[in-house]
Amino acid sequence: MSAWQRITVVFWKEVTDNLRDRRSLFSALLSSLIGPVLMLVLIVLLGQTLYVSAREKPLVLAVSGAERAPQLMLFLEQNGVDLRLLASDPQTAVRNGLYEVVLVIPNGYQEAFSQGLPAPVQLVMDSSRQSASVSVNRARALVNAYNLQIGNMRLLARGISPTVTQPLAIQQLDMATPESKAGFFLNMMPYFIVLVVFLGGMYVIIDTTAGERERGSLEPLLINPVARWEFVVGKLMAAIPFAVLTIFITLVAFAIAFNFFPLQTYIGIHIRLSLRVLAEIFLISIPMIVLASALQMIIATFTRSFKEAQTYVAFLPLIPAIPGIGLALLPIKASMWMMLIPTFGQQLIINKLMVGEPISLSYGLVSAAATLVISLVLVFIAVRLYEQERVLFGPR
Amino acid sequence: MIQVQDLRKSFGKIQALKEVSFTAADGEISGLLGPNGAGKTTTLRILYTVLQPDQGRAAIDGYDTVGQKLEAQRRVGALPDSHGLYPRLTARENIRYFGRLHGLPEQVLEQNIDHLVDLLEMHDIENRRTEGFSSGQRIKVAIARALIHQPKNVLLDEPTNGLDVMSTRAMRVFIRRLRDEGHCVLFSSHVMQEVSALCDRIIIINHGEVVACGSPEELIHSTGQSNLEDAFVSAIGSEEGLVRA
Repeated sequence: MSAWQRITVVFWKEVTDNLRDRRSLFSALLSSLIGPVLMLVLIVLLGQTLYVSAREKPLVLAVSGAERAPQLMLFLEQNGVDLRLLASDPQTAVRNGLYEVVLVIPNGYQEAFSQGLPAPVQLVMDSSRQSASVSVNRARALVNAYNLQIGNMRLLARGISPTVTQPLAIQQLDMATPESKAGFFLNMMPYFIVLVVFLGGMYVIIDTTAGERERGSLEPLLINPVARWEFVVGKLMAAIPFAVLTIFITLVAFAIAFNFFPLQTYIGIHIRLSLRVLAEIFLISIPMIVLASALQMIIATFTRSFKEAQTYVAFLPLIPAIPGIGLALLPIKASMWMMLIPTFGQQLIINKLMVGEPISLSYGLVSAAATLVISLVLVFIAVRLYEQERVLFGPR
Repeated sequence: MIQVQDLRKSFGKIQALKEVSFTAADGEISGLLGPNGAGKTTTLRILYTVLQPDQGRAAIDGYDTVGQKLEAQRRVGALPDSHGLYPRLTARENIRYFGRLHGLPEQVLEQNIDHLVDLLEMHDIENRRTEGFSSGQRIKVAIARALIHQPKNVLLDEPTNGLDVMSTRAMRVFIRRLRDEGHCVLFSSHVMQEVSALCDRIIIINHGEVVACGSPEELIHSTGQSNLEDAFVSAIGSEEGLVRA
């Protein structure tokens, strides 16, 4: 009987055994839905405030001292602004969140305006309030437009072409794609996938290591004429189908969420995840399974019980979360050396795939190879642990 | 046949085995008797290969338990101190797993299982999941899976521990049957009556050392006592950690 046959025996026993364990199955299924569900909830809650409402609704602009600038008021109303006259203190109104932005026409406005001097106006706002930034920008743009319009009229009245004051004609070309505009949401997805890689086979690994010892079946098992490395490899492999299934369900759920849920209503754009991108993300994720399982096995081997193993192993997915969060906040340009870092390289690649940026195949191959090499080292460490006598007794 | 020569084993500062040597022959029941903590389980663990001795050597049918581990493992069937089962597998599946690990061909494997199910009278439980089994039922499954590959040498660590009277009687009948089939049976116990009722040869162990060894008659003779249980107490020097009945 070959080593491979013995590994297969261990593999099938653990798969059958864990398929009968509701805990293993339930955790695999539930964890696969965390990412897609959480993302939809965030999009529904945040998308509305960040993207759509601010742009489509008329700008609500509170004005203090409106009677001093009737022409400006007329201009604003013509541009669709919903004017509110403010009698109370503008600064308090903004600080308390009553209005996002207040236009203040101070006392000296009329006098300066009629003398042709720069007439003071104030925009009162709170720059730390992210959700107000769209309203503030719109208000500033409208006041600037009025400023320019009056200035041009004054120049024309003096017989000067307004172009004299405009040496530059500034044009903006926005290179953002619909996908990159939704980047905030899309940037979370790579981490959700890494999370699922860690959660998918977790229970199987704990059950076959710490669980095996806790229920007292490890000692009789090790009496069988099977090398320790064969046990370790068989048990590790048993976690793979569970993790693969979990990743698969996650990707299907993401695909349904992006392709069928009316995202446009919430973030103003439509994101499509093509079958090809989904398949690529799936392939990129597979090498991480071996890494996650081997790490979990090493930790679970050091613990006394199923519960204790669960506590420690649950912390593992927080490690790839650190670069993952960085990725969501800062745009990082992928370079080859980053592919050498397991889970980080994959998150970068998944990110690029999702926003539709081209990524070279060599990046994918280097990342897969680096992850597999490090995984092999971890498997080797796990085997060495299983060859020690104390694996029987656990930590003391 | 089991041969043990000058075994020594320490765990940190605790010296579990100082000097253990004995031989257990085929067609005989050998008993390792000693109080709790004497080194019985450590000796058996070295014999069924999950521990390695610091010094000395142990051999199963001449195969060294360290240097020829897999060969030794094929020739030994052991019921360890902890004999947990897989609760989500049926009794038969539990036994089958171990048979497959031994590389038995499927047909031989099923025949062996049927034979053991008959022998251990487990027809009522063979296709039930082992979750919720009584300790008697558990030990039957654990013994069946230990013997699935028909090993010549059988090691039993306190096999009657936690069993009720009926199960204990059945276990004794089973152990005698193994002997009559020509197996080399070595079991450990701290129950004097059990050892005197079953054993052809008794190895008395205390503080990691063999303090007396021989047939029941030889032990009575060498200690100058009138019965076997007094001979045990005399050899160990105290009754502490032993059970008479």
